[in-house]
Amino acid sequence: MSEAGGSGDFSSPRSSGSDCSRLSLPSTSRNGAVSEHKQHRLSSGVGRPRPPASEEEEEEEEEPDVVWERPRRPESADATGGGDERSRRMIRNQYRELIYSVQQNREDMLNSKSSKLTEALEEANKLFSGVSCAREAALDAQFLVLASNLGKEKANELHSEMTAFDSPAFAEDLLTFMGLNRIEVEENDSDNEGISGGYLPSNAWHKLGAETEKYFRRAPSFHYMLGSFKSDPPVPRQRIERQKKATGREEKRAMPAQLKKMEESHQEATEKEVERILGLLQTHFKNDPDIPISFFDLVIDPNSFARTVENIFHVSFIIRDGFARLKLDEDKLPIIEPAKDDEGKDDDRNAQARNQAVLSLSHQEWKEIVETFEITEPMIGPPCNSNEEEMETA
Amino acid sequence: MSQRKRSKGSGFSQGEEGDDDCTPSQMRVLSQGSRNLERHSREQVDQKVSELVQFLLVKDQKKIPIKRSDILKKVIGEYKDVYSEIVNRAGRTLQQVFGLQLVEIDTKHHIYILISTLPRAEGENLRQDDQTAKLGLLSVILSFIFMKGNSAKDGAVWEFLRRLRVHPGERHEVFGDVKKLVMEEFVRQKYLEISPIPLTDPVEFKFQWGPRAAKETSKREMLRFVAKIQGKDPAFWTSQFKEAEGSPGPL
Repeated sequence: MSEAGGSGDFSSPRSSGSDCSRLSLPSTSRNGAVSEHKQHRLSSGVGRPRPPASEEEEEEEEEPDVVWERPRRPESADATGGGDERSRRMIRNQYRELIYSVQQNREDMLNSKSSKLTEALEEANKLFSGVSCAREAALDAQFLVLASNLGKEKANELHSEMTAFDSPAFAEDLLTFMGLNRIEVEENDSDNEGISGGYLPSNAWHKLGAETEKYFRRAPSFHYMLGSFKSDPPVPRQRIERQKKATGREEKRAMPAQLKKMEESHQEATEKEVERILGLLQTHFKNDPDIPISFFDLVIDPNSFARTVENIFHVSFIIRDGFARLKLDEDKLPIIEPAKDDEGKDDDRNAQARNQAVLSLSHQEWKEIVETFEITEPMIGPPCNSNEEEMETA
Repeated sequence: MSQRKRSKGSGFSQGEEGDDDCTPSQMRVLSQGSRNLERHSREQVDQKVSELVQFLLVKDQKKIPIKRSDILKKVIGEYKDVYSEIVNRAGRTLQQVFGLQLVEIDTKHHIYILISTLPRAEGENLRQDDQTAKLGLLSVILSFIFMKGNSAKDGAVWEFLRRLRVHPGERHEVFGDVKKLVMEEFVRQKYLEISPIPLTDPVEFKFQWGPRAAKETSKREMLRFVAKIQGKDPAFWTSQFKEAEGSPGPL
């Protein structure tokens, strides 16, 4: 922002900042007239300049060409009080603050229910009463541009036909769709931050994306199934593989011997395991008949992913044979509960709908479940070769 | 990508067979084109057509629009004189074999995209990857822009996304650098058009639908999406509904 004194018409050295006389405003030859002009703006009823102000101004009027000769103006010269550098700087700062606050709180100002924009305009008006120089006037003009842009936007948003779109509600519904698990938030009022409390699952956006794909005609990404190159690159890889196989062969010799042992009793081992787990379950249900066991607590072995999968495999036999039922509880978590004996196996098959389900569990998911549910010990102990059965309760 | 022996499958339409459904004006063009065609053998032109089809399919993987200059440079080469013939036939192949349409989204700069002409398959076990999640984010932005009157300020968009736990300054666990994704990748793919608003200081941006969004989806579809999420009838938002019904769309 150039110094007000640097007007093009007068090539004068920079004198004290309080000298506001070098205004190249074509419409007036008097400084005073400018401030009068502003007075008009503020107070609608005033017609002519106020007599006291015009006294000093008349002095200048008599010698318009000589105005620039006056390097210093007495402090009281400018009736509207913008005379000294300090107050002018203060005005400039206040303008800048006002502009900054309007920019930062833009969304707030746009809110049709708020009158913040009007308040800002009123404050600028007040500030303007102290302005007499171009530099501050320029800041005022900058504010005016900002305010009128905001005003235009507010007017745009007032589309009389446009049905109001409640975006916060849309956001909430989106979160719900994505599977937000809303836990009770005690302290802070979530409305203040505009953000809901709760746990958003990691596949939230994938779930939403899968739904949105229905609304698009996106060309599926085309990839060659077998790769798009010809045969050359794989050759070095084969060499590496051969080397690995060479070192692995010795170990393989040792393994089959062990495997053979297991295979003989493979069939029995499964049945034994299933029975063992069934016994465990029935004991638990006898003790607490009304409390269903969380499926995860039952089958997850936090120390071994492989055993977890085995447990699920064995439990599935129990369910297939109708000794237990797998359900989802109120939190949509799977629980296992006993099927009552008097329902009878046959009735079960006919009366109740038997459903098949395919469960999948990845290593990553297993780890996450262990973490989330804080499973520290497996409920189903490792298979024992001895006759004694280990029973550990979670 | 090169094919030594090209099988004449039923998917490829030969130049002569296409004449039957041509209008007189197209006949004139074809006859001029067929003069050029004589300079190259039929096999060579067929070769170029299939090369172009493969080129377009691969180029479309990242969803970045394909420039005609690239097509000319990388595929057409010295067959420039039969360019339109090759492109038309490639388009027909894409349609008949893959159900994809080659669309020019910028007639001045000649930029193309591929879109699907078939409705999206429904099912439970379709692949879900990062592209799926990104489409979710994009749909949220597109529907927000439309419901707000086809244009939204960047401040408003980011404020809305903040409610969904997406922040421009933070690294998102699914999207990473979200600001880059929205302001650069989506723009490059022509899903969004982001332009600075004049006379704003610091500069602010205006978000609008990009040409790809206009082709791959429509206002009606995005309104349907919003309605589904909010459990309301699309006609609930009367002016948006009117606008959506009035606008043409691929769907």
